[in-house]
Amino acid sequence: MGRLRLYRLLMGTLGVAFLLFGIAMVAAFFLYQRPHSTPGIPTGPVGHYFVAFTGCALIGWAGGLVGAARAPLASRTVGTTTAFVLVLMAFIRMVAWVIGDYWTWLGETPRYEAAGLLLAALALIWLRPTVAETMRAKAGAVVGGVAPAATEGGGGA
Amino acid sequence: MILRGAATMVVLGLLALDLALPVSPVTARGREALVRSDVATQIAVGRPLPEISLVGLDGRVHTREDLLGHRVLLTFERSVDW
Repeated sequence: MGRLRLYRLLMGTLGVAFLLFGIAMVAAFFLYQRPHSTPGIPTGPVGHYFVAFTGCALIGWAGGLVGAARAPLASRTVGTTTAFVLVLMAFIRMVAWVIGDYWTWLGETPRYEAAGLLLAALALIWLRPTVAETMRAKAGAVVGGVAPAATEGGGGA
Repeated sequence: MILRGAATMVVLGLLALDLALPVSPVTARGREALVRSDVATQIAVGRPLPEISLVGLDGRVHTREDLLGHRVLLTFERSVDW
């Protein structure tokens, strides 16, 4: 399996996963508003407000990831920023593991999650298209007379 | 290529730190498991106060015998490193 194909697979998988997480978080907000509801996560109205906000952002991020999976050469920066954010998320989990409040709730889970996120970031760093590949694809699209947005290598407007 | 290599080093460094967290003397977990088991098994409404030895803000050690015979309010809070 080629490097670009693996990259597309990883971006697509992350996109679908984030989409599902986002939908679940938005749903958690609405379910919390029911009378006598028991929250799925131990937080109150303010926490659920931010959970819903995060869920919406995740859905948007998922759209970018799926778009990058469909046209990887046109969306190199999506892979770069995703790798950076995955590392940031991993670092936050490592800090959370040290803090007792999260330990009593989650145990070792933040550390395992951090390891997974770091490995995903490492894969993105090495699988994402290079600048040269992106430029070459753009040039090919222009020379071939194909609309850039309709090709893997197209830059779009 | 240089940036890719630098990013790889950062990620690998964080991965090593993540694996080292439980055994590093700086970040190793405290005694919360022991404390939690004590709280769960020994301290409960209606049960006698177990033997305690607590260092006060004044530096003195307070034991259960010091508290017996007095009206005492014990409050428990977690600290960020427990």
